[in-house]
Amino acid sequence: MYTIISKIELEGTDNLNYSDYGTTTDPEIVNQINEDFDSTFGAFLGENRTKIELGIVSVSTFFATTPFVYEARTEVDNIDGLNLINVTDLNQL
Amino acid sequence: MGVAIKGNVVNANPTPGNSFYQFTHNQNAGSDGLIVIQLTMSNAQSYSGCTYGGQTMTQLYSISRGGLAQRMAFFYLENPPTGNNTLRINFNGNQWNPISIHSRSFTGSGGIGNNANTGGSATPNTQPISFSADSFIMATACSQNAISTIQIPQGSNRTFASHNTNRQVGTGAISVGTGAVAGSYNVQTTATFGNLTNDRIEILGLSAPVDDTGGDFFLLM
Repeated sequence: MYTIISKIELEGTDNLNYSDYGTTTDPEIVNQINEDFDSTFGAFLGENRTKIELGIVSVSTFFATTPFVYEARTEVDNIDGLNLINVTDLNQL
Repeated sequence: MGVAIKGNVVNANPTPGNSFYQFTHNQNAGSDGLIVIQLTMSNAQSYSGCTYGGQTMTQLYSISRGGLAQRMAFFYLENPPTGNNTLRINFNGNQWNPISIHSRSFTGSGGIGNNANTGGSATPNTQPISFSADSFIMATACSQNAISTIQIPQGSNRTFASHNTNRQVGTGAISVGTGAVAGSYNVQTTATFGNLTNDRIEILGLSAPVDDTGGDFFLLM
């Protein structure tokens, strides 16, 4: 299986936009990306999910200081034709 | 009958943060194609439909599991376009909870057969499904606690993807499906403890063509 590395950015003022950044087969890279996600944007969502749903907090608050985040939680068994870079080092992000 | 051929798979567990989520799925080339998608997410929102390559997928079920505060659904499309196409899941509002996604392609498939859905019941949750010869059975489960096993049939552990939707989801389990004879399976789902669901779907093989090349005839005088 390959893991797709998604780049997540703010779309408009209150939505998320996902784009495929690259792929990896290295579980350590997957774990590091997801640990970073969980400790930053994931934590923000965990603390503010209900307030975001009610319109009390905007997700743009997070992206005011962090332009984008990566997440690696999509697994595929075929990447033919996707033309994504093969990420073998976190410095490629 | 001829068994369908398993094709490409996508497992994803994102937080859409939008009124839709979309990704690329590669449908295998071949006749009698089928693409299916199993979904689980918070029931704060509903699914308003899925498309693949711009074509509307058919909803087999969409069930709100009130005790788990989750909505579980299954969509499919027969004879989908092949190659890389966008699979789009639409919601009736912005979804800020994680969603569990499993999509799988088949070729040589006769489509969707029987399905059966059982809500939260104490582990192990063992439920029957009747099926035709050479069918596959897919299954998924959701619980407050980690999904331990999905057995299709009971006694045969199948691999599955573990997702977190603020509940625990096991998705994408599928039987070996070769040489099965028509009958009834028990599908068993287990969690570390407590209650869990048991949803199961039959993926049909192809019916053999009618043999019209011979046989008796009568001459009426």
